[in-house]
Amino acid sequence: MKDILSYFERDMLRWVRGRVSVISALVVPAAWLIFVGLALPTTFTDHYIDFITPGILVLTMLGASLQGGSLLIFDKILGFLNKFLALPSSRESILYGKILFITTRGLIQATVILLLAFVLGATFLSPWSLVITYGVLAVFGVLLSSFSTTVALYLSDHDAYAAFNAMVSMPLFFTSSALMPYSVMPTWLAPLAYWNPVSYAIDAIRALQEGALAWGRIGALLLLAVIVVGISVRQFRKVTL
Amino acid sequence: MTPIETVALTKYYGSLCAVDHLDLSIGNEIFALLGPNGSGKTTTVLMLTTLLRPTEGSARICGHDVERDAGEVRRLISYVPQDMAVDIKLTGRENVALFAKLYGIPRRDETIDRVLEMMDLSERADDLVRTYSGGMRRRLELAQALVHEPKVLFLDEPTIGLDVAARKKIWEHIRTLKSRGMTIFVTTHYMDEADHFCDRVAILDHGRVAAVDTPARLKGRLGKDLISARVSGGWSGDLPAGIERLGEKENGEYLFSSDHASEKVPVLFRWLEEHGAVIHSLSVREPTLDDVFLALVGSRDDVTGFDDHRFRTMLRRR
Repeated sequence: MKDILSYFERDMLRWVRGRVSVISALVVPAAWLIFVGLALPTTFTDHYIDFITPGILVLTMLGASLQGGSLLIFDKILGFLNKFLALPSSRESILYGKILFITTRGLIQATVILLLAFVLGATFLSPWSLVITYGVLAVFGVLLSSFSTTVALYLSDHDAYAAFNAMVSMPLFFTSSALMPYSVMPTWLAPLAYWNPVSYAIDAIRALQEGALAWGRIGALLLLAVIVVGISVRQFRKVTL
Repeated sequence: MTPIETVALTKYYGSLCAVDHLDLSIGNEIFALLGPNGSGKTTTVLMLTTLLRPTEGSARICGHDVERDAGEVRRLISYVPQDMAVDIKLTGRENVALFAKLYGIPRRDETIDRVLEMMDLSERADDLVRTYSGGMRRRLELAQALVHEPKVLFLDEPTIGLDVAARKKIWEHIRTLKSRGMTIFVTTHYMDEADHFCDRVAILDHGRVAAVDTPARLKGRLGKDLISARVSGGWSGDLPAGIERLGEKENGEYLFSSDHASEKVPVLFRWLEEHGAVIHSLSVREPTLDDVFLALVGSRDDVTGFDDHRFRTMLRRR
């Protein structure tokens, strides 16, 4: 556990001291919320900001987590990973440290969106719904950051990682329930969206807005996270260069 | 117990044999692995530091097998890769603290102060590493590597990219560490540094050991003196008896070995003139490790074509 915190602290210090990346991390999600949330002409709801906020929250976690994989690419290219792997501390703590940092950074961005959404007129969530919303986002962040960090372990450079990121993030987002409800989707899209893990998180948060707990969706998300982290840990334990 | 021991250590990348049946036994000494780029130096270090699985053979660090007992090996060693991986947005102290925490060092602050002091970094310890020179960054990496007092220290090209003064300083530090009982395994392609600062060197050629010995004895193999000639024009034919051609260096210098070098100078002079060479200078000098390398391996230049796939495989390996 101490090792995980040491790795976390290193990434956190590096992030906070690179001021531009902090500002960018806070501005980008805000831009999404404003330009997508307020500008899209919609007919299925009068209060699109309420509808789109869960989508943008999850999109932000998605983007933050997938982008987070490049941290490991950097560590690998610059030689840090070699040094870390030669340490006696457990190798999966490298992975856990990255998951913790990437998810924390994502949650900070999500907080900016939530605050801004309330300012823009979104309906307030009850405290317990808010807590569960953070829980759902955290599990989603763990799932995606574990995935992206492990993929980064096997990709050789930034170009390869950027290509992977683009290939995964766009389809995942646009085939999810982020932008429109299942009822207005084309018939081919609806089932695809329903089985997309991005939708699990979005639907779970939307249910919370109604005061309901979508156990099926939360359970599916948790199960997926446990499986992916399990596989990732195995890969980190056995990795050689 | 022998700090480093390898038995028929071998690594293949696909069909490319990077390290070919390496047998080494290294005690408390500064041991250098010499060789041109692509000769298998880094691959050897990666296997000894548990980062890469050998295809065949085995290696032990202080009696612990690098495959079966990797955890214990990692406790006993430190590895400084050639990339100069220090966090420039962190201070020197923070960089060392990270490793002290990861190694779980008791009385951490004292240890950090001690290793920073040892590497002459105390005064700048709280500055961001961004402001450090190359030599300081390398010393900071050494400080990181020393927090858990390793028995064996692996340094991959420790002086690459540094200026002369910084190199000398790094080597002085390495010598001090050895005198404290640490075994130091370095890879380098700077022959003169290996000659001056290392106890023993192994010359690696295409993954195979061409020779292992002290620098003095390796040079002794070439005889007491060499004849160095700067000549132009085409010349060929059988050399006079007692003179052997050693090779041509990149700088156009031809080297000849002979048991009685000074006496053979006039003989060689006449012969070269008779065979169509224009002689610019002819002198007798002591052999260097570079000459040994030339004699054992041939040209230091990579004569094989540039293989892009192989190059990328090697990059990825780092």
